[in-house]
Amino acid sequence: MTDPRLWLAGLMLLPALVLGASYLPIDIEQLRRLAVASAIAMVLAALTIALSPPLRNFSIRASVLTWISGGEALIRIDTISSALLPFAAGLWLLTVAVTPRAALDGPGLRRTALATLLTVGSFLTESAVVLLLLSVASVWTFLSALADPAHRYQRRVVAAYLGASTLLFAVGVVLLVSPGAQGTRIETVAMWLIVVAALVRKGIVPFHAWVPEVFDHGRLGPAILFNAPQVGAYITVVLIVPRASPEMLRTIAVLALGTAVYGAALALVQRSARRACGYLFMSQSALVMAGLDCTSVTALAGGLLVWLSAGLGFAGLARCVLVLEARRGRLDLTSYHGGYDRMPLLAISFLAMGLACTGFPATLGFIGQELLVDGAVDVFPVMGFAVVVASALTGLAVLRMYFSLFCGRSDVQVHPSLRLGPRPREAWTFVALVAVLIGLGLAPRPLVDSRFHASEEILRLRQERTLASRSSARSVSIRAGTRASDPSRTGTTTSNPAWVLDR
Amino acid sequence: MTLDMASIPLTVLVLVGVGSPALLLALLGLASLLNRPLPERWTGRLAGSSMMIACAAFLMAFVVYGVTASGTRLLSYGAWSASRAGGIAIEFLVDRLSLTFAALATAIAGVVSAFSNRYLHREAGYNRYFVLFAIFVTGMLLVALAGNVAVLFIGWELVGLSSALLVAFFQERPAAVSNAFRVVSVYRISDAAMLSAAVLLRHVAGTDSLSLLFGGAAPTTGLTATNGTMIAILLIIAVACKSALLPFSSWLPRAMEGPTPSSAVYYGSLSIHAGCFLLLRAAPLLEQAPAARFLAGGLGLATALFAGITTRVQSDVKSSLAYASLTQVGIIIAEIAVGWYTLAFIHLAGHACFRLLQFLSAPNVLHDLHGLENAIDDASPIGGHLKFVRSDRARRQLYLIALERGFLDTILERFVVEPFTRMAGLMTRLDQWLCDAVLPARLRYTVDRGDQDD
Repeated sequence: MTDPRLWLAGLMLLPALVLGASYLPIDIEQLRRLAVASAIAMVLAALTIALSPPLRNFSIRASVLTWISGGEALIRIDTISSALLPFAAGLWLLTVAVTPRAALDGPGLRRTALATLLTVGSFLTESAVVLLLLSVASVWTFLSALADPAHRYQRRVVAAYLGASTLLFAVGVVLLVSPGAQGTRIETVAMWLIVVAALVRKGIVPFHAWVPEVFDHGRLGPAILFNAPQVGAYITVVLIVPRASPEMLRTIAVLALGTAVYGAALALVQRSARRACGYLFMSQSALVMAGLDCTSVTALAGGLLVWLSAGLGFAGLARCVLVLEARRGRLDLTSYHGGYDRMPLLAISFLAMGLACTGFPATLGFIGQELLVDGAVDVFPVMGFAVVVASALTGLAVLRMYFSLFCGRSDVQVHPSLRLGPRPREAWTFVALVAVLIGLGLAPRPLVDSRFHASEEILRLRQERTLASRSSARSVSIRAGTRASDPSRTGTTTSNPAWVLDR
Repeated sequence: MTLDMASIPLTVLVLVGVGSPALLLALLGLASLLNRPLPERWTGRLAGSSMMIACAAFLMAFVVYGVTASGTRLLSYGAWSASRAGGIAIEFLVDRLSLTFAALATAIAGVVSAFSNRYLHREAGYNRYFVLFAIFVTGMLLVALAGNVAVLFIGWELVGLSSALLVAFFQERPAAVSNAFRVVSVYRISDAAMLSAAVLLRHVAGTDSLSLLFGGAAPTTGLTATNGTMIAILLIIAVACKSALLPFSSWLPRAMEGPTPSSAVYYGSLSIHAGCFLLLRAAPLLEQAPAARFLAGGLGLATALFAGITTRVQSDVKSSLAYASLTQVGIIIAEIAVGWYTLAFIHLAGHACFRLLQFLSAPNVLHDLHGLENAIDDASPIGGHLKFVRSDRARRQLYLIALERGFLDTILERFVVEPFTRMAGLMTRLDQWLCDAVLPARLRYTVDRGDQDD
């Protein structure tokens, strides 16, 4: 059982099993049970891979899809991806376990399994072409969730934004992997295109408008599943950080910081709980992006941690909103809905996940944000203050949502005989998620150490690429009869490298 | 964990002192999360025992410290978040001041715990109250003993969150919930100021150890007078928010919506003095920053004057007590600013105990006198409470200012909340426009916006 290929096959087989079963004429609750069982098995398998060192060093490299020298890993398990696999599996489990019965259908479960498959596939590759193909497929899956006439407007908005993003990504990837692109202006252009594509996908200002719209008026479930894994962050880690120039990374970080504060401020004043979730996601997702582009080991490790904590915390929080909507209809934040006494577990879970999402002490989010601020202070001091402001505002937004959704007295009285609390399946899932977020917040060392290793790996890759790019640029320049050391000609800046190996 | 033999007893005692309420929190929190709250009798006994153990541990630690140590000692319990540089370490700064405050905090918490056990008997939120109370005591002890910025911030945040949630304890009352949100809004400014101070400290001094700021250690080369002043001013802003100094005083009467024991422990005795304690700790830093001292002194005196006048016209006993507390807090801050540290600490401890007694006995007094609340000076003319002001006109104006609590809420509403809301509304509309802009004109308004679930 030490062959990683077996584990990988098992990992991918589980969502594929649910995907296949969704075409069979079986009862929807039975299909859900199968999906829950598969998701639990997938979480366990992914955890085994993440915790077993022999299973973490595996890759299948090929030069088939690229002209980049040395090829790329089509499939690989390493320190970067090992923590992302249980994360993706956990999101799938959360989705299938707590989706309200009224919103449950075969195509929905099929899309969920397919989206998980695509996400896991993305986390397992470093090939730009494979990432592009999986990205196209995941956008198509998301759009298919908005296929009904009621969501025509949102579908078109999403199609416009994510279509443009995918197109830019495709052109960027084609330029990047084309022969002779390394170390030339073509690579720089390709990188900018990929950067813009990632910014759109992550909902970074000014490419963000689709995010609140799709959360507010689109379908919340698919929106959570599409956004929470943050594949855009993965594209950043794998394609952008190792190759981008310091200016490029600084631009992304500045935009991301602006988005973090902007999203947090707007989340605070929204009337609709769904829209507030959208802005909250924007803010948290932007913090991840800022951390990833900061290029100090500590800040990068912080960004990788915030990715996990904000992803899980946000998905849990938004799922709580869905569970509440199944009981009360659309939720307005301008009034109090009450109900803590009828569903204390849901209220506690909502608050805990919201606080974890915003980096409250004793949760995983706190450790991530501390590292982010700590690491960023030397390289990019403004970032520390921006994270502080964003964190203060998101914390307020979460508390405002909590007070509105669970406190006060509702105008609509529900008969005392009606059971409003979460069903056991939902309750156990939320309790498990809260336990994970708090447990990892109280005993974070193994995970933090692994994220430090991952960030060192990313920066080592960046260092290697920078050196390779320099030598490649030199040879191109010599061929062209120009001076190789002129960075403005080659489009790469080699002096004053932006990475800082540690403080 | 790095220990030398001489410091083992102290290290263990401090760990027991902090660990006891933390363990209580873990027990009660886990039971709540699993929706299986412990019976009242168990909860009350556990809370009482926990506070007694913690108090005894700190008293013993004080004795041990007096016998074996002098100066400020940094007790390190090892790295918490990562087994390498860059992670968060658990460190406590131990000296007479911190141990005395920790012992005082646990003693007061023990008294309040015993009082609450009876006061909230059969109350629906009994278990919730004790969970939040355990969060508060743990947070307060972390603030008292923090050896680095991360630990201080954890404590600061725990105190703030538990405070807001206890203001909303009677959560079926919309006013309580709305006031809790106001309280937490000011607390978040405090948190942001505290964290900004930490960011600045790390940036200029390359460390987050508080022994540099609080222990009187020699300043590093990075910490210049300007930087030190900026850090001190940020700390003063954090303190002003937490201790309701001007111009952040308006949340204090709103916080009285919580149950009386929580009002007593937060706004009578401990939480409101947390800011004073932090300034006492930061005295070495303040001494290097005259501008910050001047600011602290000015804020303290202005707050004392404002609260002293305002407390006279309050018509309910808890608000009156809260402003009376604030008067003393202002004076304590002024004492710290002029460098009378010992007096300030004695004042702090005495005032905390005295005000605790007043708050806890208030419900009994009200009950015994049948309706004292809302009946203060009904028959007196307008401004009659401010007889010390000779001019009629000035007295009336002062009365109006005191009655409206300095118009602080109005100012906040008009100059902060409204512009922020207007700007955010504008941005939300801009986002909508950005959605429309990417679509052809014929599609913009002709389609329904789905409001489907999931």
